[in-house]
Amino acid sequence: MREFKENKDKNTELPSDSVINKYKDFSRLHANYDKVTKRPKKPIYKDPKLFILLLLILLLCIVFFSE
Amino acid sequence: MDEAEIIEKAKLDRKHFGILYDKYFTLIFRFVFKRLGCDEQTTGDVTQQTFLKAMLNIDKYTDRGLPFSSWLYRIAHNEVNLHFRDVKKKKEIGIDASDLHNLKNESSEENIPISKSNEELIKAINNLDLENSNLIELRFFLKMSFKEIADIYNISEASCKMKTYRILEKMNKNWGK
Repeated sequence: MREFKENKDKNTELPSDSVINKYKDFSRLHANYDKVTKRPKKPIYKDPKLFILLLLILLLCIVFFSE
Repeated sequence: MDEAEIIEKAKLDRKHFGILYDKYFTLIFRFVFKRLGCDEQTTGDVTQQTFLKAMLNIDKYTDRGLPFSSWLYRIAHNEVNLHFRDVKKKKEIGIDASDLHNLKNESSEENIPISKSNEELIKAINNLDLENSNLIELRFFLKMSFKEIADIYNISEASCKMKTYRILEKMNKNWGK
């Protein structure tokens, strides 16, 4: 939501280049980009669901081949 | 290396996007700053968000003869609108008296004389819907050309001009009632 009003006292000044450069940070932007695009690398032992699934597959294989 | 080459390289490897970021950061920061009513910190955040969206979507960018900056302006314009939608408190945007004077002058040149006070004029602009007030803002308060605004909205320069003057005419008509 916004509302316009008149600046009666002074003209608004645009920020100087030095002020703008404080906010300019390509490495932060690249880090944010990586965060959004790259999947987190989570080891299997830290993912209980996947771990149980793999264990079940392994057990089934053992049962199947031992018969 | 020209800009088209840099864009193509950035599509393949995002580290090349840094050249475009360095080139256009100040331009977009100033655009967002004026639209947000001069709030440095929020402007910094919205500008970073604009470039993040640009970096994520640069694959979809196609050169249609428009400057790359107009594509960035379009993203920044949408980000500013999203910001206003999200903030719950009403935000006041200051307008210089000279900008209102320019609006009145241009209206007179187009045979839409606006003889109302600045307060009444601002009230009328505040009563416009978001799309119309955005057009007035870009043209008269951010002093963009019709060509630049048309590029943001992806419309022709002539229809942008017509839309803007129709809004002024509508405002003028509504005063009479």
